[in-house]
Amino acid sequence: MDTMQLLGLLTGVLFGFALHRAGFSRCGLVMRGLAFRDFTMLKVMLTAIAVGMVGAAALATFAPDVAHLKVKSLYVWGVLVGGLVFGVGMAIAGYCPGTALVGLGGGVRDGLLAVAGGLLGAFAFILAYPALEPILIQPLDLGKLTLHETLRLPYLPTALAVAAMLGGIVVWLNRLEAKARA
Amino acid sequence: MITERTEVSAQAACATGAPSRAGVPPWLLWGGMIGLVQIFAIATVQPLGVSTAYPQLVGYLVDKIAPGFAESQPYLQKIGTKIGWEVMLIVGIALGALLSRLLPGGDRTAACELPNVFRASWARGLAAFVGGFLILFGARLAGGCTSGHMLSGIAQLALSGFLFGAAAFATGVLTASLLLKRANGGN
Repeated sequence: MDTMQLLGLLTGVLFGFALHRAGFSRCGLVMRGLAFRDFTMLKVMLTAIAVGMVGAAALATFAPDVAHLKVKSLYVWGVLVGGLVFGVGMAIAGYCPGTALVGLGGGVRDGLLAVAGGLLGAFAFILAYPALEPILIQPLDLGKLTLHETLRLPYLPTALAVAAMLGGIVVWLNRLEAKARA
Repeated sequence: MITERTEVSAQAACATGAPSRAGVPPWLLWGGMIGLVQIFAIATVQPLGVSTAYPQLVGYLVDKIAPGFAESQPYLQKIGTKIGWEVMLIVGIALGALLSRLLPGGDRTAACELPNVFRASWARGLAAFVGGFLILFGARLAGGCTSGHMLSGIAQLALSGFLFGAAAFATGVLTASLLLKRANGGN
């Protein structure tokens, strides 16, 4: 195994372990989360995003040599339509591509089935790509835009501010939930 | 009247907030851990991203059965079919979940704690399969999934991540709410 494969495996084990401990092997968590009946999914996601946001900006600012950032291109039609399709699938399956693997590893039948469906979906996309690329991916590709560059704001302070906002949402959700339970 | 009500709600918040201070709640602990895994991924190779590995793995496997497949498909030409960081990441995710299940404190139930939406087991199984198909097709069209576009994209303040998140939550919330309504009607 080369270094890249080893790092991928190690990162995956840590990621899968944390997702499983957070409860994502159970597809009901995502389904109830999307229907706003349980805020666990949102709280975990927003916390993870906020920590990653501060970390990414701190690395880019203080240790740019090891900040391997990768901003994805904003090709409006593909991202929009793909996102809409993704949302329907996530609600029906109760999984996203990562948590389906957590279900599989955690011994949940539905995780195995979602991964199998995912492999078929990926196969279908490979075949559909030549037809979809000219209509949904090439047009209206705005490039690798970020919030701070678009608004001409400094990176680290913007990241800290947005992360603080996400933290505020988490605290608010937590309070709502505590109140509903009381 | 109004001051009385705010006082009561403030007391209720204090009462429910107290026990959580005794220990770190799981969502905070594991959400924070996922954030740290993200920082580790960025510092070593690249931000977390799961969905690219699915077509890479499919391409690798199909090419074994039908040599020349990977070369004939423009999408596989673009993303490659190497068993690299991405594919090992998804192998690792499943292994990490297995490890968590086996170690003390792990969730060992095979149940999904799913609301009573799909009456029959086969119907639920089909839904998981079809849902799995849609999340991968949608993620590949959009160029990322919950991890690539949200955990990583939004964390990098990428506008593509915000758009994907908004679109996915729009249909996700709608679909899940409709499904759960149906479940409650059945109860």
